[in-house]
Amino acid sequence: MPALAAPMAGRRRGGWSLAARNAAFGYVLMLPSILFFLVLIAYPLLQTFWISLHRMSTLTRQGEFVGLANYRALLESADFWGAFGQSLVWTVCCLALQMGLGIGFALVLNARLTFRPAARALVLFPYLLSTVVAVLVWQWLFNDMYGYLNYLIEEYGLSDGPVNWLGQSPNAMISTILVAGWKHFPFVTIAVLARLQGIPPALYDAARIDGASAWSRFWDITLPQLRPVLAMVIILRTIWDFKEFDLIFMMTGGGPRSSTETLPLLIYKEVFPKLSMGSGAAIAMVMLVIMVAFFWVYAGQYDREERARSR
Amino acid sequence: MKTPPMKTLGRVLRDILVWAVIGVFSFPLVWMLVTSVKPRDQTTSYPPALLPDQFTLEHYVNLLFNTAFPRLFVNSLFVSGVSTLVAVLCATAGAYGMTRYRFPGRSLMARLVLFAYLLPAVVLLVPLYVVVAGMGLGDSLWGLVVTYITFALPFALWLLRAFMAALPPDVEAAAAIDGASRWAVFFEIVIPQALPGIMATAVFTFIGAYNEYLYALVFVNADARMTLPPGVMRLVKESYNIDWNVMMAAAVVITAPVLVLFACVQRHFSQGFGAGSVKG
Repeated sequence: MPALAAPMAGRRRGGWSLAARNAAFGYVLMLPSILFFLVLIAYPLLQTFWISLHRMSTLTRQGEFVGLANYRALLESADFWGAFGQSLVWTVCCLALQMGLGIGFALVLNARLTFRPAARALVLFPYLLSTVVAVLVWQWLFNDMYGYLNYLIEEYGLSDGPVNWLGQSPNAMISTILVAGWKHFPFVTIAVLARLQGIPPALYDAARIDGASAWSRFWDITLPQLRPVLAMVIILRTIWDFKEFDLIFMMTGGGPRSSTETLPLLIYKEVFPKLSMGSGAAIAMVMLVIMVAFFWVYAGQYDREERARSR
Repeated sequence: MKTPPMKTLGRVLRDILVWAVIGVFSFPLVWMLVTSVKPRDQTTSYPPALLPDQFTLEHYVNLLFNTAFPRLFVNSLFVSGVSTLVAVLCATAGAYGMTRYRFPGRSLMARLVLFAYLLPAVVLLVPLYVVVAGMGLGDSLWGLVVTYITFALPFALWLLRAFMAALPPDVEAAAAIDGASRWAVFFEIVIPQALPGIMATAVFTFIGAYNEYLYALVFVNADARMTLPPGVMRLVKESYNIDWNVMMAAAVVITAPVLVLFACVQRHFSQGFGAGSVKG
């Protein structure tokens, strides 16, 4: 980077104002990042749109321009609407599970508890795991022959025979949602816990003096104090669950019979097994539009937070 | 003030209940560890032995000497290491530029960074395939490094921006008044001050890259260049009779570096978290 600064140094003395020189320095610092953004993100995004207007094979990457035909085909495709519905179910269920578990554990870990630091470390643990590790462990637990879950179920007579956790619908979707809930709820816990510890105890003391019950203290103090962080966490988790590929794909591959195939998995299927780049790109564009909407909500919430903090 | 005995009893019961729930949630981890060190005959017996009467490291030995695992591991370390290095170097300069210097388009840049950070990897899949092939980097570890920059860089920028903004600007101002050049301020004052943040960002970026699956699955095909997540899944899918003991040993070994790295920067975890850290 110093090499870039040298030619600038000559010009700098040519009567640039301090503000202009500062701005120039800011650009120089950002230059490598900007270049990467242009080449690896901006250009590919435009390419996605351009490819979505073509009928193109993944192998040859040659294709003919077909206009909006890929999009029209999507609207009539049962695969697309199926994946759209599965994405919706997946996102909503994962979010509900993660928020419920996350807030519950945060409240418990905020209260008095024996060996609390150890408890916090253990609760955080699933979030640190590689997705591939989580998948291996759960596939082993779900194993139909020697899996521990089926052993427990048989031992306690909860079901007539071994449960087919991943091999039939709707079991596969439910099992995968459970794993995603288990893996990602600690994110909610950590975020909520950090906020809980920031609530001034004086608020609770005052309420106690006024004779407020534990329940009304939760509704009237804790919940309003948590609202901003909950809003952020809900949007972030929605975005992340919606775009989840790794966990579902490794767990079920989208099966059985496409019953766990969400939009990201459908894109993969179109582009690679089916070698149809154009239609894959069209689905990617649909996902992009949905993501822009989520992003818009998140950025608005983020700005409100920043303003509240600087006030 | 003395606590009434009923209240103490209630608290003890509550603690036991909470710990039982935590035990259930941690069970998969316990099961992973136990399976990785118990003899094979106790793994497939009925009932499965919760605590084996024999302890063995044979599965670890098997994993390290009789499978492709070591090569996958080295490839993973290489790809995550290089992409983290590139991303963090660029992001340190970029984040500093974004927080301390005013220039037209600055807030737009911040927006774009956040947008890129939240962008699903799968949306870039199709064009990146074209870009990487165009660079002649198809089916190579360097090609994978290039694709990893697409998420590592926005993530590192986003985290470091928060760290940089929290640094007090006074020292920099004082040095500038003393006649230090902008580069000198950056290298001699900002970087040393921000070093803990930079290290923490590097660790989180590394973990994100180390765990990545989709690009690793798509952009590399040859066995010799495969990284851990798709490589290990392939071991599972392609074996006729899956050796779960060895797989759990693999799970433990994959987790080890993440834990070590995380322990080093744990203090910064909540800080990074505020910025929405760790790719989810």
